[in-house]
Amino acid sequence: MAADVIRVLLDDAFRGDEISVEDRTGGGDHFQVTVVSASFNELTLIQQHRLVNAALAAPLADGTIHELRIRTKGTA
Amino acid sequence: MSTLHEQIKHVIDTEPVAVFIKGTAEAPACGNSMRALQALWQAGAPITAVDVLPDPRIREELTALSDWPTIPQVFVKGELIGGADITEELFASGELKAKIDDALGAGHGQSVRTMPLEIPAIPA
Repeated sequence: MAADVIRVLLDDAFRGDEISVEDRTGGGDHFQVTVVSASFNELTLIQQHRLVNAALAAPLADGTIHELRIRTKGTA
Repeated sequence: MSTLHEQIKHVIDTEPVAVFIKGTAEAPACGNSMRALQALWQAGAPITAVDVLPDPRIREELTALSDWPTIPQVFVKGELIGGADITEELFASGELKAKIDDALGAGHGQSVRTMPLEIPAIPA
């Protein structure tokens, strides 16, 4: 399932960080992801979102993710 | 006619606040495009919207330029601010208005328009 794929990719990119993946509509292609990571400290919001987009590049490119909402936070 | 790449780059480089959306500013076709437009409007921006739906090549060229995978995409003075989530977050914290006022000068006006691109024919 797409949510599991997303979680595995995020877990891999942000090891040990707090991650949540929510299927917003229940349809399996609209997701809200939240990542709280020390790697975001000192980064701007757009840099933080770029890291999340990069981790999810494959499912974004192949249409597995139709809509992605991102919430990021540093730990500082 | 200039290429889509050139037209998109021109919009980003010359429009004070450009937002690439699904649909038009008057009739957004996607909730996230609507969210970005609303945040920009509430921040008092002069908004130039470009609809990516008329041709899939618009989105392809845009993403190649911005290295950002999703729609909408908001640019202020040529700089990518982000998508709907970042635009909303920056609006909520007051940073969006500050960024726009800083970049454009405090006397800038508020407006909304949708700018059509000229779609080149697909080569045979």
